[in-house]
Amino acid sequence: MAKLTRRQLTQSVLASAAIAPWRALAADPVGQDSTVPSGTQTDSGVTDSEIVLGVSTAFKGPSRGLGIELYRGAVSYFAHVNDQGGVHGRRIVLKLRNDGYQPVPAVENSVKLIVDDKVFALFGYVGTPTVTRVLPVLKKFQDRDFLLFFPFTGAQPQRQPPYDEFAFNLRASYKQETAGLVDNFVSIGRERIAVFYQADAYGRSGWAGVRAALKKYDKKLVGEATYRRGEQYTAVMRAQVERLKKVNPDAVICIGAYAACSAFARDAIDGGLDVPIANLSFVGSENLLKNLTDEFGSESERYSRWLVNSQVVPSYEDLTMSSISEYEDLMSRYDPTPPPEFEEHDYVPFAKSFTSLEGFLNAKLMTEILMRAGPSPSRALLEDAVFSIQNHDLGIGEMVHFSPERRQGLDQVYYTIVENNRFVGLTDWEAKFAT
Amino acid sequence: MKITRLFQRTMFGIFFLFLLIGVSTSVVSIYSVDLHLTSEYEENSRDIAKTIADASVDIILNRDLSSLQSLIDQFVEIQGISYIYIVNDTDEYLAHTFVPGIPEEILESERQVGETVTRNLAGMGDFVEVSSYILAGHVGSVHIGMDVSHVALAIQQAIGNQIYLIAIIFFVGIFASIWFVSFAAKPINSLLDYAVILAKGERQEDSKIPNEQILTRNDEVGHLARLFQYFSTVTDTEKLEKEPEVKETK
Repeated sequence: MAKLTRRQLTQSVLASAAIAPWRALAADPVGQDSTVPSGTQTDSGVTDSEIVLGVSTAFKGPSRGLGIELYRGAVSYFAHVNDQGGVHGRRIVLKLRNDGYQPVPAVENSVKLIVDDKVFALFGYVGTPTVTRVLPVLKKFQDRDFLLFFPFTGAQPQRQPPYDEFAFNLRASYKQETAGLVDNFVSIGRERIAVFYQADAYGRSGWAGVRAALKKYDKKLVGEATYRRGEQYTAVMRAQVERLKKVNPDAVICIGAYAACSAFARDAIDGGLDVPIANLSFVGSENLLKNLTDEFGSESERYSRWLVNSQVVPSYEDLTMSSISEYEDLMSRYDPTPPPEFEEHDYVPFAKSFTSLEGFLNAKLMTEILMRAGPSPSRALLEDAVFSIQNHDLGIGEMVHFSPERRQGLDQVYYTIVENNRFVGLTDWEAKFAT
Repeated sequence: MKITRLFQRTMFGIFFLFLLIGVSTSVVSIYSVDLHLTSEYEENSRDIAKTIADASVDIILNRDLSSLQSLIDQFVEIQGISYIYIVNDTDEYLAHTFVPGIPEEILESERQVGETVTRNLAGMGDFVEVSSYILAGHVGSVHIGMDVSHVALAIQQAIGNQIYLIAIIFFVGIFASIWFVSFAAKPINSLLDYAVILAKGERQEDSKIPNEQILTRNDEVGHLARLFQYFSTVTDTEKLEKEPEVKETK
């Protein structure tokens, strides 16, 4: 990120002060009708009436549930902000592009968002294989000071040099999630851990996290099996189950998306692999469970009883937290639908989900950053606005702070299991999964 | 198209000559294309292995393995490359592209870096594997597998194109030869017809042969036609002139 000189900074602040600090606009809620900026396009992505954020995510394909839910959560908060008059009088507008969770379209979309759409910043991307390939794009355009905010991935590339300076993360990393899972499994005597993972950068990131966590205990992965990105729930995972059964694991940690992971959970139980099956937050817990309940109905408990999913946001059922009750309120008030240009009518959105809650929190923090960027926001000053966030209460019981050395807002990892077809918090690992 | 018997042997000779050229050219072409493309695929894969090896050093030593996976995922999209795996100096697999997992044959095989290895992987097919050391082997090695059937298909396509061209040249050559021989044989056939007419003593105006045309030719056929006509004329006159002399002599 190009650093500003003191003189440039002063000039910019003076210019900001000259502009009216608040412009009330009759802003429409962010939603399907406001995805295209209506103001005059500028190089800065900011007009008198709008701040445009660029989003490339999976609105279609086997992982669309992640992109759609993340978007819905974000939109519910941005709609609320716009209804309240926006940020310094400007509506927050999302310029949306679908990448289907594929790296090449994600790169192409990012270039278009930067070069053609000239958005203010990139926001709410989904996936490791996509984000990993987009980071060099940000490096290429570093003279334009583009930043990527809160991607839905816990991978390391955007958390460490040389690309950490182009991104800010809110969620805990896969390293933290996998370390937590391994620690808990080892603590209850389940030390023979195998992994089932997506054969790409995301899967490798989780695989590396499990490997590193086991190393602390002087242990190694006992086995591994992979699947190809984009597999549907209809895919047969028996070959993977057989590979893992051969090594007799005490637990399997899955690093994948909901379609493949639910297919694996189904075939694992059918194949007699009766061990805890852990999934990372990226999996999309509700979609995973929906696949199983849709197929097995009342019998789905048989397939979900071994599931343990790590989460990077608290339970959306915990209404004691201010942001959770706000999330529930705004989700029901705005009930955002998937973007019409990408809508596939067979997708049924969830009233609440961990993914949409994460999108909601992303939007809430993004709004705070835009507020702090001042009435005349510029990309060059955006980073300073982020670093001004110190011990900020996001309303989920964990303070958020950023600095040049810390570009990740949250560290907490939560663990959930399925009870009565709902994800609930796991407090006693011993009672649930002890050997 | 009528070919005189005189040229039939010549035609067969030309046909066999073309066949010989076609077959020998095809054999040489198949051999050289096979050799060239196989070595080109191997060389390209070796170059890719070296490129990955060079790019991997920094990633393995300083960065997350997801970056390494992302790197090899980009290369495995190249046509002909079926799998890539990277092992470290202790032979631990750091990244790979296998689904549903690393094949037993590879897990159990001894690492042969720098050599071309032929592998048969159960359920996957036959592969040629090339490799390259990462930082002279101190960090590990990169291994790239090429699908033999894909390479063979590419070679077959290249050879097929060559044979297709040779076959076209062969058939065009044969038809051209037949046409040229027929063209050359046409005046001889006319000459033969003319000789038959002369032998039968038919009048020129009753004949279908354009005598004038053959008699005016300025080549060997024309000379022969005029000679036949001369002999025919001389013989008749001499018969008339010499018959009384014969009687008188008797």
